[in-house]
Amino acid sequence: MFLSLPLDSKRSFTYNGNMKQELREEKLKSRIQEISHFYYQKGRMPSFSEIGELIGLKSKNAVSKLVIRLEELKVLARDEKGRLTPGSIKFPVRILGTVEAGFPSPAEEELADTRSLDEMLIQNHEATFMLKVSGDSMSGAGILPGDMVIVNKGQTPRSGDIVIAEVDGEWTMKYLRKRGDKITLMPANPKYKPIKPKNELKISGVVTAVVRKYK
Amino acid sequence: MDADAFFASCEQAIHPELRGKPVITGKERGIVAAASYEAKARGVKRGMGYFDVKKVCPEAIIVPSDYETYSLFSVRMFEILRRFSPDLEEYSIDEAFVDLTGLRRSFHCSYGELASQIQETVEKELGITVSIGVSLSKVLAKIGSKHDKPHGLTIIPGKEIHLYLDKLPVEKLWGIGPNTSAFLNKLGIRTALELAGKDEEFIQRHLSKPFQEIWCELNGMSVYPVVTESKSSYQSISKTKTFTPPSTDESFVFAQLSKNLENACIKARRHNLAAKRLILFLRKKDFRDIGIELKLNRPTAYPSELFEAAREGFRQIYQQGIPYRLTGVVLSGLMPESRVQFTLFDDTTKIEKMAKVYDSIDKLSSRFGKHTVQHASSLPTKLQVQHEGKRQDIPERKTALFSGENRRQRLGLPMLYIKV
Repeated sequence: MFLSLPLDSKRSFTYNGNMKQELREEKLKSRIQEISHFYYQKGRMPSFSEIGELIGLKSKNAVSKLVIRLEELKVLARDEKGRLTPGSIKFPVRILGTVEAGFPSPAEEELADTRSLDEMLIQNHEATFMLKVSGDSMSGAGILPGDMVIVNKGQTPRSGDIVIAEVDGEWTMKYLRKRGDKITLMPANPKYKPIKPKNELKISGVVTAVVRKYK
Repeated sequence: MDADAFFASCEQAIHPELRGKPVITGKERGIVAAASYEAKARGVKRGMGYFDVKKVCPEAIIVPSDYETYSLFSVRMFEILRRFSPDLEEYSIDEAFVDLTGLRRSFHCSYGELASQIQETVEKELGITVSIGVSLSKVLAKIGSKHDKPHGLTIIPGKEIHLYLDKLPVEKLWGIGPNTSAFLNKLGIRTALELAGKDEEFIQRHLSKPFQEIWCELNGMSVYPVVTESKSSYQSISKTKTFTPPSTDESFVFAQLSKNLENACIKARRHNLAAKRLILFLRKKDFRDIGIELKLNRPTAYPSELFEAAREGFRQIYQQGIPYRLTGVVLSGLMPESRVQFTLFDDTTKIEKMAKVYDSIDKLSSRFGKHTVQHASSLPTKLQVQHEGKRQDIPERKTALFSGENRRQRLGLPMLYIKV
C-alpha cells in the first residue's frame, strides 16, 4: 500500500500507481458523499445494510471493511453498542480530497471558489435570453453585427444601461439615458440619431454582456 | 397554474412582432398544434387543417413548432415557481400545481397576492402570461385556473365554491371522462355542484374510489397531494412523428417507425426501464389509424431485440400503395430494468454484449448528440427530409445558428428574434 511508504519514496511511484490511487480516492470520496447525503436527508446515520444499498455493496463484510476504513479517517465513529455515529461528516465541510495521503491537494482548495463562464455571464438564468445583433448602431460600444448579446428581462433598466426597447412600434438597441423624466435612447454610432420616444416606449430587457466567437 | 396558449405565447415572446396577432404553431404538421388567443377568438381550433384556418382567419400567421424553445420556457416557468415554493408538481409542459400552504407569513401577503406575484414574475421574465387558480384542493385550483383565461387569477375560498361549480358540467371536471359523465347524467347529476352536493353515503354507494376522491376535493377537502418528485416512472413511453408529404415508400415508412422505436428505447434506457409490450401504429393520409400490439419474449429497451417483432408487426399492418403520414411506437408494461430476469432460454452472453453496445451508443450520444450512431433500418429517414421542401417549416432556432452550435446541440438559452 502506498500509504505506508515513507515520504521520500514518493518519487518512485509509477504513473500507474498514481492513477490507481486517484481512482480509489475518487471512489471513496463518492461513498463518503453518499453517506453524508443520507445523514443530512434523514437526520440519522444509515445502518450497515442501508450503506450497502446506498453504494451498491451486496455483502455486509464489504460494508464493514468500508466502515473500518472510514473510522480510521474519522469520517464516522461507532458508539459503545457498535452503532454508527457521524464523525467529520457532521460538519458541513467540503471534502478536500481524502486525508489518506496526508496532504489535501492545494489546487482543489483554491478552485473551490471559481465560477464558470456561464455563471459569470448569466445572473438570473430564468430571465436570460440571447439575441443576434444585426445593426451597427451600437458599434461605438463594441457591439457589432453578428454578435450575440445576452439580455436580462428581469432587471430594472437604469440610466446608462444598454437596453432592447420598442419605440413607437420599432425595435432597437440603444443606451438608455434618463434626465429627470425625459428619456432618450442614445446610439453609439454617429451615423444614427438619438431617439426620443413620442408615444410609447417599452423596454424589453437590459443587455448584460456581448459574446463574440471568432473560431 | 396553467400557461395561456403556451406554444403560441412562447412564439410571441421570442418574436415580439407577433404579439397581438393570430399566431398558429405546427406548420410542419399541416394542422393546428396551438393557437394564440387572437386566433382562437376568430374561431381557430386545435387540430384544424390549414385550409379551414384560411377560411375563418385568413390573416393567421402560421409558424413551425420549436419544441426546444417551448421546453426551455417550460423549465424556466417551473424554476420561477420554485422560488416561491419548493412544493411544486410539474403536471404537464405548461401546467403545475404549487403548494402555497403556510407561505403567507414568509411573504407577508395573502395567497391571492402571492399568486399575482407569481403571475407578474413569469410575465416580466419570460414574456408569457399564465392563469392561476387558488383554492383548497387540486381539483378546485384547476377549475380556478381554467375559469378566467387568459391572464386570469381566480381565488376560490371555501365559502364560494358553489359559485364556481354551479355552471360547470361534470364532464369538464378533471378526472371525469365521457363514460363517467354519461353515468352521472343518468343519476341526474349534470353540474359539478350537483355532484358536490350529494351526501357521502350516496357517493360511496354509486361511485368508485377515484370519484369519491374527486367529490372530496370538490368539497374543499384536499385528498390529492402535490407530488414534488419530477416524473421518473412511466406507465408507457410513446414516440410519434408526422412526415409530409405522406409516403407510399415501404422502406421509408418503416425507417420512420424504426427511428421512433430507437427514440422510445433511448428514453426508456434513460429512466432504466424495460418494456414488456410494444405497440406500433401507422396513420394513413386520411387520418385513419391502424395499429398492432406485440408481446415481447423478454422485457427490454434494446431496439435490436425489438426489431424482429417490429418488422413482423409492421408487415401485418402495412398495406402497399396506401400513403401514410405518421408512424408511432408505444412501449408499455414498463418495469425497472434491474428487475428483468433472464429466462432459461435466453442467450445471456449475447444480451450482455448488447447491453454493452447500447451503453456505448448512449455515451456517444451524450457526447456528440442523439443518433450519432443509429440502426441502418432508420437510415432512409435521412435520405428524405421529414417535412418536404420549404425552409420556413424548420424553426429559426435550428437554422440560424451561432458559431459553435450545430444541428443537434444548441445553447440552452432561448433566442429573441428582434432586428436591432
